[in-house]
Amino acid sequence: MSINLSGLTAAAGVGYRQYKRGTAPLPERGVLVRAIVEACEDAGFDPADVDGFVSYGDDKNEPVRLMPDLGTKAINWSAQVWGGGGGGIAGAFGIAASAILTGQARAVVVFRALVQGNSGRLSAAVMAHHLNDHMVASGILAPAQVCAMRAQRMFEYHGVPYELCEELVRASYYHGSRNPEAVAYGKAFDHDEYRASRIIAEPFHLFDCSRENDGAGAILLVSTEMARDLKKKPVKLLSVAQGTEAGYGDLLENDATELYPTAGFRAIRDRLYGTAGLTPADIDVVQLYENFSAQGIASLIDHGFCTYENVAEVVRYENLIAPSGKLPVNTSGGNLAHGFVHGFVTAVEAVRCLRGESPNPVPGARTCLLAGGPGAPTISSAIFGVD
Amino acid sequence: MSYQSATGPIGAEGRYWDALQEGRLELPRCTGCGQWHWPAVWRCGACGGWDHEWVEQPIEGEVFTYTRTHHPFGGTEAFAKPFSTLVVTLKAVPIRLVGVLEGDETGLKIGAPVTGAIARTAFGDAQIPALRWSLA
Repeated sequence: MSINLSGLTAAAGVGYRQYKRGTAPLPERGVLVRAIVEACEDAGFDPADVDGFVSYGDDKNEPVRLMPDLGTKAINWSAQVWGGGGGGIAGAFGIAASAILTGQARAVVVFRALVQGNSGRLSAAVMAHHLNDHMVASGILAPAQVCAMRAQRMFEYHGVPYELCEELVRASYYHGSRNPEAVAYGKAFDHDEYRASRIIAEPFHLFDCSRENDGAGAILLVSTEMARDLKKKPVKLLSVAQGTEAGYGDLLENDATELYPTAGFRAIRDRLYGTAGLTPADIDVVQLYENFSAQGIASLIDHGFCTYENVAEVVRYENLIAPSGKLPVNTSGGNLAHGFVHGFVTAVEAVRCLRGESPNPVPGARTCLLAGGPGAPTISSAIFGVD
Repeated sequence: MSYQSATGPIGAEGRYWDALQEGRLELPRCTGCGQWHWPAVWRCGACGGWDHEWVEQPIEGEVFTYTRTHHPFGGTEAFAKPFSTLVVTLKAVPIRLVGVLEGDETGLKIGAPVTGAIARTAFGDAQIPALRWSLA
């Protein structure tokens, strides 16, 4: 017995709090409670009636500890996607939907919270999840270095032009500069500053890397039926897929040769589009998790928006910005220019842009692809949609 | 197995570390079907066999990919910045191994032939056995 989950659940409320790294006014759990209550208020839903909680990326906020602040009556469901990176962000919605569609929970909050004083640096936490003596002995201590080696292969061997990174970064900064909530608000992108920014690990300059923020995000998922009775327009979960395939993952850089430079999404692409009955051509806007610029490009290739051969035709600044581009990407600025709370802003913007609440609206957008954390050993993506 | 890990639990590759400490590169092959495995496994997922033989290998191959690290990430104190880390496809067996490049970097590119030596990488109080590559 199986059911197609497409369209049966919907995001009903969104909450997001973001601060400069190291400056959150409350400890991590306090910021998270704020975000969850904000999501419930956005939906017109009593926080006490949230009965399920899902997260990803080794989040440390065990839901039971949220109960006194939220007034939670009962927890009927709690779970987390495996993996230390952002690969699980979209999969978290799949876990939440599974609980709702099997009657195990009614109202599930998908969340992620990160405040440096409590959880330390995210990059260090992600690495702690993966580190081993092989990597340390080779001077590999950070996600940037692992992603850099994969990016180098994509550029040098597969011929993807390195210059395309700037196109993606520039589009992110354009959107972020117009978003009052974004770290890049009011700041113009400067080509010379980008090129001159210090090198982290070749080929990545500083501006190719997402930089961490303190904050928390929460999205309330309920059945589409229930969402219709709440305050905001339901944003339906049309599809979600998570996983990986043989020859990709935590393999000491011994991934299958063709999979090594990818972002890992070939494993789920067909399931993702198949569940929704859609193709890449049907996607109106993309919220793209870009831990690093090159992995964002690899993710667009994996998801079928372009190939190694024609990537330069698609990953162009003019093509990536709203409202005029054919493939608007990261309409709030994304991880690079809006802010980075383990990628949660991409999920938040997926909902907001389909409601028409984006700082860079895409008129008439009906479908939004949320491309989860690229390059993680286990990855996930989702498609959201409105009627 | 005598090797004590510096970072966390070791998988099935204890013999690799012991051999490296003794100055040899040894890698595991399934005695059932002949499949080389890296990372090392307890059970061969291809044939279901549980037995592996560790075979000494020459330390040479070609560059599969690389990065030159400039940022002083914590834990990389053993290496002067910038330093290059190479993923190398071994010549003799279908396995890639990672290590830092020593000496002249002229000609570093994907496909460049390299030879390797065994050294130690200081990490905190530990001295981790490690491969160092040189452009051939």
